[in-house]
Amino acid sequence: MTTARFTQFSYWYPGSAIPALDCVDIEVDGGIVALAGASGSGKSTVLRVFNGLVPHFHGGTVRGRACVLGMDVLSHRTRELARNVGFLFQDPELQAVYATVDRDVAFGLENLGVPRDAMLSRVHDALDRAGIGALAGRAVNTLSGGERQRLALAGVLALEPRLLVLDEPLSQLDAGGAVSLMETVSVAASRGTTVVIAEHRLEHVLPRADRMLFIDRGRIDAAAPPPPHLEAFAVQRNSVATAGASQWSVRGVTAGVAGAPVVADVDLDGGGDVVVLMGPNGSGKTTLLRTLAGLLPALSGSVDRPRGRVAYLPQNPTSLLHRPTVRSEIEWTLRHAPDGDNGSVDAALHAFGLQDVADRYPRDLSTGERQRAALGAVLVGGPALALLDEPTRGMDAPARRILVNAIHELCAAGGSVVMATHDQDLATAVADRIVQVKDGAVRVAPAVEPVLA
Amino acid sequence: MNPRALGAWSFAALTVALATSNPIYRALVLLCALDVLVVFRRRGTHIRGLLLAVAIAGVVALAITVLFSHTGTHVLVRVPDAIPALGGPITVEAVVFGATTALGIAAAIIAGAALSIVVEPHELIDALPGVLARSGAALGTALNLIPGVGRSAVEIRDAQRMRGWRPARVRDWPDIAVPVVLTAIESSMTLAESMEARGYGSTARTHFSVSTWRPADTVVTGCALAAAGIFVALRVIGVVGDWYPFPTVTVPPVNVLAACCCFALAAPLFAWRR
Repeated sequence: MTTARFTQFSYWYPGSAIPALDCVDIEVDGGIVALAGASGSGKSTVLRVFNGLVPHFHGGTVRGRACVLGMDVLSHRTRELARNVGFLFQDPELQAVYATVDRDVAFGLENLGVPRDAMLSRVHDALDRAGIGALAGRAVNTLSGGERQRLALAGVLALEPRLLVLDEPLSQLDAGGAVSLMETVSVAASRGTTVVIAEHRLEHVLPRADRMLFIDRGRIDAAAPPPPHLEAFAVQRNSVATAGASQWSVRGVTAGVAGAPVVADVDLDGGGDVVVLMGPNGSGKTTLLRTLAGLLPALSGSVDRPRGRVAYLPQNPTSLLHRPTVRSEIEWTLRHAPDGDNGSVDAALHAFGLQDVADRYPRDLSTGERQRAALGAVLVGGPALALLDEPTRGMDAPARRILVNAIHELCAAGGSVVMATHDQDLATAVADRIVQVKDGAVRVAPAVEPVLA
Repeated sequence: MNPRALGAWSFAALTVALATSNPIYRALVLLCALDVLVVFRRRGTHIRGLLLAVAIAGVVALAITVLFSHTGTHVLVRVPDAIPALGGPITVEAVVFGATTALGIAAAIIAGAALSIVVEPHELIDALPGVLARSGAALGTALNLIPGVGRSAVEIRDAQRMRGWRPARVRDWPDIAVPVVLTAIESSMTLAESMEARGYGSTARTHFSVSTWRPADTVVTGCALAAAGIFVALRVIGVVGDWYPFPTVTVPPVNVLAACCCFALAAPLFAWRR
């Protein structure tokens, strides 16, 4: 039986004249289906049709038909479809309902009216399948991001869905977390669950996918070959910055929150170059960046910052958006710049690929577009020092390319960059020096071999 | 211990603490409630902050009473009449009355706080009767979001500060408040979506956690409710009355049965295992 079939399915979000989905004709019947497409192309919208969140939760206008597991999506509510369709979202922080692990996994089963005895065994089975059987009694807020995403997956697996839909489930995870999540998903697929997954980090998905669909501006052409920009991410370094005179430095710095040191006795400096901080979660990368930014006073030691503006991109950059348009968001930064930074808004819009959305409300944009808007708002003009915390989390390939270019231009103009990331490709593409941060200590890695174009 | 039994105890302690202004009974309730709190608080919870808050609330109540009520016979010092409102005598009676008020506030806060410090807020929500289960799930979810909103507020403040934001006027605060609220709304929408996708809102709902009711819970609930019931009855028939230190301080009268009612609030200490 066909798992899902969309027939000439079009969809408009409430108040929008442009269709988010435009005459989509697809048929899904088993295996792992990867859904690829640029940011804002309609991936999330298609996925939400499978369990009826579009249109039941989001409203809007529909034309055409969509049938999932023999049920017409338009005449069945999400809660009815939930019995057979599991959905995993992007953000691990925003999927837990209850405070303890096993209790939270049981939430879906409670809603379906599963008897309590069956519930207990299904909860533990799901936790084991998600690889977090040992965490059953733990408090949800003590889990890492990777563990929380696997908890959300366990909550979905417990429902024993026939169709599993995943919306960029890997974007917030480090490489290890991504690999183990994909392993669990492919085991579920081998047991007969159909999987549809949208993800930017195709390197983790493609090896396991049976089929691939491409979406472009709301249209899916099942026969289209993969567009070239979806090939593996590779950036050629077009310039090798040479470290000039030191512009910033930390000397013997110990820093932490509430008097408890997270990093101890750190010596680092830089000028006109890109320093990349790498290391496991909780090792002190963010603490170091915040200290350098001046947001966290050093417990001891001295921090020197350059004379000009220091730009800081936090971990969830899209949360800073608050102006009515993308353009005014960028203007706001320039207006508040202490040294009267006279950078050009139009240049920033262009550099971050935001010309088409300049006059739109930033929070209405797709995740990827919002990230670029936040990048533009932070990096506009010429900051003397840019501090970036996990800038590529949840970013698609074009956005990463834009970021890499921005970093090169910043350095070419004499600025310095310090960046914390798990993203090995990005580090290789931009780093002049890679600094390993581990257990609060830093170690400068051997010089990166420049790859010349 | 069963969260419902604790709820009954907490309700009883509050009732007794607020039923009379007699400081002896209030002190007894405070003592029992503090004991229960200290002995049964969850591992890893800190009560220093709570005690500090109670102390501050008490001191503020005391200060207000002392500074603004100028009645009573034994004058300690005299604030110059030139100072509006504050001017006038400060009396021993006002100090005693302020302390009585502070005791009442402390006893009520501690009796109520025991609920959240002894059991998880989520256990309490699970203990809500069946008809409220759906509201309970919504409430639990809201509780889960609170720490996230706090974190995001700090993040957003830092991010805007690095973009040059300096709060000089009230007009500058929306630059923080607006994104914090928008982010919180977006988070709750996402969470609502994920709850919907997990079948939330179905009518035939079953329950994962069943809290067990032990004989000890019956003992605690019985003692606490009986104590509150008898105390209120004594208050109604006039055996226990309100007490004021005006015009001169006297020793507050104590009824043995009423005092026993206060002591009965210590039942958890003997019934529940530590």
